[in-house]
Amino acid sequence: MDILIYGTINSVTLALYALGFALVYGVSRLPNFAHGAIYVLSGFIAWSAVNTFGLNYPVSIVLTMVVTALIGSAIYLLFLIRVRGMAISEIIASYAIALAILEGLRWGGFKGMTYTLPPFVSGSTSIAGVSVDYQRLLVVAVGAALVGFLWVFTHHTRIGLALRGMAQDERAALMLGIDSDVMAVVAMALGSMLASLAALLLLPLGNIVVESGYNVLILAIAVCIVGGIGSWVGAVLAAFLIGFAQILTVVYLGAHYQMVVALLAIILTLILKPSGLFGQQKELEERV
Amino acid sequence: MGRKRSVVLSVFLTLTVLFALLVVPARAADPIVLGCPLSTAFLYGWAAERGFILAVEEINAAGGVQVGAAKRPFKTEVIDTRDLEPGVPVSEALLALEKLILDKKADFIVGGPVRSEAALAAMPLLSKHKKVSILTTGSLTPNYHAMIAEQYDKFKYCFRIHGEAKNLVGEIFANFAQLKEKHGFNNLFIMAQDVSHARGAAELVKKLATDKGWNVTGLEVYPTGGTDFSLGLLKAKDTKTEIINIWMDMPESAILLKQWYDMKVPALPFGSTLAAAEQPGFWKATDGKGEFTLCNVVNAGNAPSNATDWTMKFFDAYTKRWKVEPEGLGSSSSYMAVYVLKDAIERAQSLDSDKVVAELEKTDLMGVYGRLRFDPKSHQVIPAADPKEGAVGSILQWQAGKRVVVYPKSIAMGEIQLPPWMKK
Repeated sequence: MDILIYGTINSVTLALYALGFALVYGVSRLPNFAHGAIYVLSGFIAWSAVNTFGLNYPVSIVLTMVVTALIGSAIYLLFLIRVRGMAISEIIASYAIALAILEGLRWGGFKGMTYTLPPFVSGSTSIAGVSVDYQRLLVVAVGAALVGFLWVFTHHTRIGLALRGMAQDERAALMLGIDSDVMAVVAMALGSMLASLAALLLLPLGNIVVESGYNVLILAIAVCIVGGIGSWVGAVLAAFLIGFAQILTVVYLGAHYQMVVALLAIILTLILKPSGLFGQQKELEERV
Repeated sequence: MGRKRSVVLSVFLTLTVLFALLVVPARAADPIVLGCPLSTAFLYGWAAERGFILAVEEINAAGGVQVGAAKRPFKTEVIDTRDLEPGVPVSEALLALEKLILDKKADFIVGGPVRSEAALAAMPLLSKHKKVSILTTGSLTPNYHAMIAEQYDKFKYCFRIHGEAKNLVGEIFANFAQLKEKHGFNNLFIMAQDVSHARGAAELVKKLATDKGWNVTGLEVYPTGGTDFSLGLLKAKDTKTEIINIWMDMPESAILLKQWYDMKVPALPFGSTLAAAEQPGFWKATDGKGEFTLCNVVNAGNAPSNATDWTMKFFDAYTKRWKVEPEGLGSSSSYMAVYVLKDAIERAQSLDSDKVVAELEKTDLMGVYGRLRFDPKSHQVIPAADPKEGAVGSILQWQAGKRVVVYPKSIAMGEIQLPPWMKK
């Protein structure tokens, strides 16, 4: 039972890390390597809102998500738009932005282990004899709701349909009057907001540290590669695959090997099915 | 004309002599450069840096270091080795160290490298450049002083002024024995980070605990950066564990402690190196969930106690200078390293490495955390449970928002308390 409960929690955690990254790439084909940095940055924004500016927590949460969305849009409009379409340049530019954010935070004094956010709900309960804290249950609930929201958003709203149109065929979408850059800005804003939501849900479980930005990025990339870069459904399924594989590894092999799972999943995917579970990059398959 | 020329010549000579007289004292006041390779974004790095700066400011304010006939000030050159960051290769720390030696012209190396692997790898480099180094923070591996003892001629320039893992294990077992006697504890679960000193110490704890009749209910090694400890905690709970021994200096250990509290695991979290719990800000950061957590801050002075007359003087001076209490491993040891070095240089009357090594070996100074002496063969500071005999450690427990030193008895300010959900 503990494998089932903590496997689900771990999987939803990975899905939350990855959804923003998958969304941005799915719509604009932009590998946003600043995703992990945005995750950490939003944690510090929320922390500052509560501790420096004395705002109450719910207001800080809303403010953080809005500010993070604006930062995501600004990153695209100021930097990434200039290298759009040049894959290597996009990776280098977004990674440079990530470094600038993370090192900037450290330079600004955000170092140490004492930066934390309060949990939404304190305490724990027992499910079939397994202790689980409420915050982790909330993570699962919000994660499930988010997937539902994204489905409704992308199938029943004008912006969502436009995003899907862009994801399916950018040229066709352009012919239908969908502005590619506007949609990319929307995708970056939404992706950053999703990173922010993940941070606000997950960071109260521990503390906000700059280094976790790299970890989040690696895990998000692993999930997206296994699921098929750009596929949101694939990302969710891959999160469950890797999430449960990690928990089973901890139980049967030892916690020591936990981090290897995600990296091994990347290698195996690239060898066996380079486009991932639900990837649409058929040229990768053909090349192999 | 001849007379005019001789007047000009005289004036020139006088000015030259005056210039020389002015320059000589200036040269004599050249600072002694202390190269400090530290992982500055982490507690063990910045705590050490603050300790160095405080000591250097105090010494310079008092006139500096007497080197032969001249008084010379200390100067610190800090470089970020980043060796505590996950994924940063050891070679980065070595490059940083070499930069301190070659570019910054460091006369001595104090501080790190902080991670054990990097500190061990730095030893041949220090030997190559004949640089006297005093390790003051982070690195706890017993291999460090074992290597010095084994190859003295090669590694004689290396010293370590803070406690090491084997000694920490001894301190922990003294507490375990006390808990066994008082509460009948017998089940021990070990959680360690996947780094050299922690892995080694955890294995040692497991072996010793088994030999001493403890039931070791598990040993889990977590990768640096691991963020979920729930299954380990559940295992500890299921196996009726009474003490969880933690060897972690990564920030994510805060997640472990919060999970422990939320799950109300009926086992005492007993950290050995547990950087997250060392800092005064830990209580606020965990919203009080860190209560009852024990951790070893390695040396007295890193938490309030009255180990020696100097302990609280240092504690208060540090708090005044940095607006925060000494936060953990590296604070008092780095501060004392500068004083110990000053003492050795003054006795050697020289900055010559071999002469300073000889004098460091003769060090006998009552410092912040007790009597400071180095083992002449291994260059490890000699530990003791009594500050009059040697360097004393400090194990603290978080009690009602305060860091209370509970070990060793000679300096204890309180006793170990159990969380309410553990009381029978």
